[in-house]
Amino acid sequence: MKRSFQFAFTLLALLAMSGFAWSAEAEAPAAPETAEAAAAAAPAPAAAPDTRALDEEIQSIKKDVVDLNRDLFVLEEELLFPANTQVAVFLSMDVGEFFALDTVELRVDDKQVAKYLYTPREAEALLKGGVQRLYLGNLRVGNHELVALFTGKGPNGQDYSRGAQLKFEKSVGAKYLELKIADRQRKRQPEFEIKDWE
Amino acid sequence: MQNRRNSLFLLAAALLGGALCGAAEPSYHLLGQSAPDFALRATSGSNFRLSEHRGEVLLVAFWGSRCGQCGTQLAALSRMVDTYRSAGLAAFAVNVDDNQVAAAEFAMAHPVTFPVLLDPAKAIARQYRIDNLPMLLLVDRAGVIRYVHRSYRSGSDAQYLDQIKVLLDE
Repeated sequence: MKRSFQFAFTLLALLAMSGFAWSAEAEAPAAPETAEAAAAAAPAPAAAPDTRALDEEIQSIKKDVVDLNRDLFVLEEELLFPANTQVAVFLSMDVGEFFALDTVELRVDDKQVAKYLYTPREAEALLKGGVQRLYLGNLRVGNHELVALFTGKGPNGQDYSRGAQLKFEKSVGAKYLELKIADRQRKRQPEFEIKDWE
Repeated sequence: MQNRRNSLFLLAAALLGGALCGAAEPSYHLLGQSAPDFALRATSGSNFRLSEHRGEVLLVAFWGSRCGQCGTQLAALSRMVDTYRSAGLAAFAVNVDDNQVAAAEFAMAHPVTFPVLLDPAKAIARQYRIDNLPMLLLVDRAGVIRYVHRSYRSGSDAQYLDQIKVLLDE
């Protein structure tokens, strides 16, 4: 009886040991698997810096393109409109209570050089302080005449048309002129002025 | 005799093929290019500039009051614009009549729910090389002319809708 009990105990112990060994064997490959997974996962953090570097490179190239485009634009303007012949006309509006701008026509030395039709959005942008470059061209050194014709809605919403004129001398440097539309509160009328920025 | 008959048959076939090719719609020079910008006065009094509608799918319909199909086309386009306006569809009808009063009366008489622009000097029509009326241009959200139609027929609506949907989905 005792011998059979010892035999049973030994058998159980052997079974338990073999079971442990089996489970150890079964679990053993898990370590390499985890190691493999870790090895596989390892490049992922390494890939992120690569993507970031690529993204930074793309951004850098984009910036270079923008810079190059700006340089080319400046170069084009310098070539097409050299400083010694360049004339630029700008337009600005102040208040706009007595005048709603519709069109502006520019004539230099009795020749139409620009005509612009304003949409409500553009007129609003001017009223908010925007300045529009209406014309960029070339003129010889000497005396010239600029005439600007404005049309739109005047006080009380009636059709309104006015002109402004400026005789100016073009010297060697670039010439900048500004058409200014402002309200004359005292007369309750719009005022049109051409300013020479020398 | 048989050879002569064959050659005559071939000649007739070639002539017919040539005629059919000639009848095909000519290509449009601005197709696939940016639509030239323009600003025009509308019959309602306000002004419209094409470039202010970048980001929308645009239908630019050139028409004249003496064109038979123009009114029907404008009515069909109005229905489409009403349906797809919220999805970003807009339209302009550019009139090329010399007589602006007739154009305004025509526009009033037809149910057009989008701006009717006046081009009495035909500067824009020349810029776009309009060679037939009605002429419809479909402009995508990037401002590129993608489709052109030089006429309006009974099945045109379905074709317009298919193309509009393609452009709206982009």
